[in-house]
Order: sequence, then structure tokens, then C-alpha cells
Amino acid sequence: MTGLRARLRAVQTWQITLGLALLVLGFLIAAQLASERPRVRYTTQERSPLVDAVRELQAQQEDLKSAILGLRQEIQDGEGQGEGSALLVRQLNDQLQQARLAAGLVALTGPGVVFRLEDGTSGSSGSRGESIVTAKDVRTLVEELWLAGAEAVAVNNERVLAGTAFLDIGGSVLVNSAYLAPPYTVTAIGPANLYARVSASRGFVELYRVRTQKGGIVLTYAERDGLRVPAFAGTVNLSAGHPVPSATPSGPASDAPAGTP
Amino acid sequence: MTARVTGKRWRDQAAVAVVAAVLGVLVVIQLRTQQADPGLSALSAQDLTVLIANLNTRNGQLREEVATLSRELSTLSASQARGQSSVDQIRRDLAKVRAWSGLDPVAGRGVRILVSGPIDGPGVEELLNELRNAGAEAISVGGVRLVAGTVVAGSTGSIGVETTLLADPFEVVAIGSPEVLTGSLTRAGGVISLLAATHPQVHVVVTPADGLQVPATIRSLAPSHGAPRL
Repeated sequence: MTGLRARLRAVQTWQITLGLALLVLGFLIAAQLASERPRVRYTTQERSPLVDAVRELQAQQEDLKSAILGLRQEIQDGEGQGEGSALLVRQLNDQLQQARLAAGLVALTGPGVVFRLEDGTSGSSGSRGESIVTAKDVRTLVEELWLAGAEAVAVNNERVLAGTAFLDIGGSVLVNSAYLAPPYTVTAIGPANLYARVSASRGFVELYRVRTQKGGIVLTYAERDGLRVPAFAGTVNLSAGHPVPSATPSGPASDAPAGTP
Repeated sequence: MTARVTGKRWRDQAAVAVVAAVLGVLVVIQLRTQQADPGLSALSAQDLTVLIANLNTRNGQLREEVATLSRELSTLSASQARGQSSVDQIRRDLAKVRAWSGLDPVAGRGVRILVSGPIDGPGVEELLNELRNAGAEAISVGGVRLVAGTVVAGSTGSIGVETTLLADPFEVVAIGSPEVLTGSLTRAGGVISLLAATHPQVHVVVTPADGLQVPATIRSLAPSHGAPRL
């Protein structure tokens, strides 16, 4: 015991410092290698202006989305203050609010589940590409959530609607033509047992088996109350088409519309 | 003896200094790596060019939407300043939002797509994803309007949408620019080429058309679990 104490006392301060520094060094080298692994990094100088252009366009996109949401709110407020037949204006505004809710133009809060899809280090075949999350992975997960009863879904805060396309671009994904970088957070509002329902579905089990267990991508989830799915901040436009007058144009959004097939 | 001790101490200090310097460099690199957008740093120059094109298109559409909404707001403000009712504007807005969301039917030009042969739900969803990407404004499959939450699902021979089992052949109707939709679907390396590779017995025929109509949804779109966050 006395021998051990004497040996410990003999250890110099610089040796402890050096030991700790080497430990941190080892950790950092491992972390750096791990972060480089699944995605190839392009470092050529000519890419820099392109990356800057992307960042600039992304910033513009965020500003435009905020402007759209702000203008919609102003219009909604203005329509509510209309003069004339107060009762008629109020009724129409109620219907419009219901229609906006149905269209995904209003943010929702409620219970549901959040999934996170992340690139893995490598798949069962050892291929790096296999462990990168693709647009199809995200789309399949969203489809399974719809089939399980989700009523509002967003991917990295981009609301998924009837016209939403999912595209691969390099190792990242475009949703509603918005560039999303991994990891992908898929937020779904729905029944309290949404996770139980989706995890029991054949499509989800297949996605998990093929892309997580074999492919190596990382899929995690959390069930939560008070989840928020944002409003759609894009174009509400019919240019090639036009609305067909419904037999019940003023019916509430929850009613089965007149033009059912 | 003293000189030997001094030399040893100097070597020790030099070793610590070198390790500290390398440590510092690695800390900086690691922090920059964490701060940099992991997606962008993984894209090639070609991918970045495609991304810029996509972002430009999308931003153009968003600018148009901002302009449309600004006009609507100006008209509304002007009407109210004259003491006029906003009823007409609300009705126009209501008709547009209901049709766009799927609560009302939509008519216009676009494409008819006849799909025949043994195809499964995911195969149809690939086709629909391409139509959405090409800017389809409203889509129906087998007479069923696609809205948020509608998925064509099932294995070959038993695919369905909502409560409808799809026949063989079945028709997809998409409202949108016929030229853009047709071009996007039939381009070399496009979704029909890919389907030909993965589903060789499936035939897809795209026909541009005017006077198309997609019906309203039969689904209730009113949320029952989520509450509006105003």
C-alpha cells in the first residue's frame, strides 16, 4: 500500500497532463474519422461559390416562406374585419378557416410520434452508400404513417401534403423542393397509439428490416404529446386547372363534398 | 548532472507542446466539421448545380405566391377602405383553397395515364412522386382523388387506394401542364424507364388531354387528433 502511494507520488504532473491530452487526442481523431466516413467530402475550390449560392437561395427561401405565412395571416385578419353582411362574412370566414385547416395551411399541435432517420456507418455489405438515408426511405416512412392513421406529417419542418414530392440530391433529400440535410426528423400527429399501429404494419417492418438492420441506417423514435406540425408555406395555385363549382360550396370542410367520385 | 536534468525537462515540455498543438488543430477541425452543413459538404459540383436549379424554381414559385397574396391583400384593403364587403374575395379564396386541398373537384388540362400489368403499390407511388415533382396540381387514381394521407398500397394483383381496389388496367388523371408532365414521365431515365426495368410486364401509356376532371376526396380532412395552432 505504502509502495503504491510512493509510486503515485512519483508520477509527475506533466505526465498526467500528457496522458490526458493523448486521451483527448485519441478521441478527437476517432470522432473526426467517424464524421468523415459515410459521406465523401468534396473540397475542390470551385465548389465554394456553388455552396455559397445554395446558402443564399436557402436564406431567400426561408424569407419568402415567412412572407407567405405573414401575408396569409394578414389576409385572414382582414377578411374577418369585412363590412357588409356581418353574419355572412362570419359564416364564410368560418368555412374558409375550416378549408385552410383541411388544406394544411394552418399549423397543428397534438399527440403523435417523431421518427429520426440518420445515416449509419456502413450496411451489412460493408457499402457506405447503403447506409445513407434516401428520399425513398423518408417517403416510405411517411406513407406508412399515413396508412397508420397520421393526419398531419412534416419532415424537418416541411409540411407533407398531396403535392409533396421526395427527391434524392446527392446524399440529401428535397421535400417540396426544399433542401433538407440529414438527419431527417419526421413528425406525425395522429391517434395516441400511432406508433403501435405503424410499427405493426408490414411495410414498416420491411423498411426496418431492409434499411435499418441490413442497410445500416439509424431509425429512432419518440412518442410525444404536444407535437407541432407547421403550416404549409408554399404555393396554393391552380394554373392548369380550375375549381369545379360544388353543389354545396359553402359546406364545412369536414363534410363529404358534393363532387365525390 | 544538472545539464542532463534540464535537457530532459526541455524534451518533456517540447513533447507536451507538440501534443497540445496537434490537439488544438484537431479541436478546431472537429468544431468546423460540426458547424458545417453535413449535407452540402457531401454534394458534388454537379449535385450542387441541380440543387441550385431546384431552389431557383421553387423560389420563383414562392415569389409568385407572395405577389399574388400581396395583390389579394391590397384589393381587400382597398375594398374595405371604400366600405365594401369582402364577401367576394372570401368566396374566391374559399373556392381556390377547397379545390386545391381536394375538398372540391378540379377541371383542366393535364395527362391521362393508363397503367396495365402486374404492378404493386410502391410502383404506383413512384409514378405519383414523379407527377408531383413535375408540378401536378391535382391527381386521381382509379377515380379516387389524392389528398394528404392517401397512399396507393398493396402487393401485385391487390392494390388499392382508400377503399377502392384498383382494376387492371387502371387510370391516373393528373391536372397540370401536359407538356411538362408528359416530358417528365417519359424522359430517358425517367420513372417509366425505371418501371420498365423493375416491372417489365407493366405498360404505362401517357396521353396529354384537355377537359380532364379529378373528383373531390371522399375522405374527411378535418383533423380529429391535432388542434390548430393559431
